[in-house]
Amino acid sequence: MSYIGSKPANKPVVASDIDPTMITGQTALAVAPAATDEFLVSDAGTLKRIDYSLIGNSSYFKVAGSNVSASNDTSTELTVTSETVDSAGVVASNRFTPQVAGYYFITATVKYPSGTDIDFLGCEIFKNGSSTGAGTSIVSKDYNAISCSTIVELNGSSDYVSIFGRHTTGSTSNINLQNFFGFKLGN
Amino acid sequence: MTQLYTKVKLYLEANSKTYENERINIELQNDGSGDYIKSWNVSGLAKPTAEQIASYETAANTAESNATIIATRKTSYGVWQDQLDEIFTDIDAWKTRIAKVKTDNPQG
Repeated sequence: MSYIGSKPANKPVVASDIDPTMITGQTALAVAPAATDEFLVSDAGTLKRIDYSLIGNSSYFKVAGSNVSASNDTSTELTVTSETVDSAGVVASNRFTPQVAGYYFITATVKYPSGTDIDFLGCEIFKNGSSTGAGTSIVSKDYNAISCSTIVELNGSSDYVSIFGRHTTGSTSNINLQNFFGFKLGN
Repeated sequence: MTQLYTKVKLYLEANSKTYENERINIELQNDGSGDYIKSWNVSGLAKPTAEQIASYETAANTAESNATIIATRKTSYGVWQDQLDEIFTDIDAWKTRIAKVKTDNPQG
């Protein structure tokens, strides 16, 4: 009883002080965490909280387009006309503009919807309107489609990705975005 | 309205260059608001002004019309294997048919 009236000494909470029921006794979250749900992490020895959006694979999307009239040998931005999924509403005006910084995997397929022979068809992934250097070209015949993929770093605010198509049919021809999808890579 | 590609090609030819040789030095692009020259690195030749590009409109129209006519002729001629057979069988009939294709599809 000698400690009655005395102030307990400061003592850090250590692992052995924590009972697993601190977690298991809580209500289970039966769905994926929301973007702003938080976790506790040890950042080089300092406890910090972090949003789920910073560690998950969101955002992710899959979209497609329709025919675009493209001039000969001219990189032409392809249009998006339908969305299968757009996890965070970050595809607009044919462009993917994620709001979380990081590295993203991007892939697309460009199609030349004609039975006419074609010498060159290109699928190009552009960042902020300029080539990322990622692209594929093909010399092919008959019904033509070509895919391209890359990993690109985006700043989570203004950086955007869009898909460009290019052909050398000699005249103005339709090409379209058969699919365009991507997701954030975990850190 | 003709393609920017065609007018750039004519501009290069008017300055003793060819599009085929300079293709890697030129980027034509369309971000949804019309074709434009994204980059130009042709040695010894300045990027054409808007006025210079516009001055090739008529010539480009002729070039594109002729390209369409040539494509139509090519289809009408048929594949070379079949033409060889025609020549072997009756060269005069082949010459007559080819001449008609040309007459029916005159270039500008």
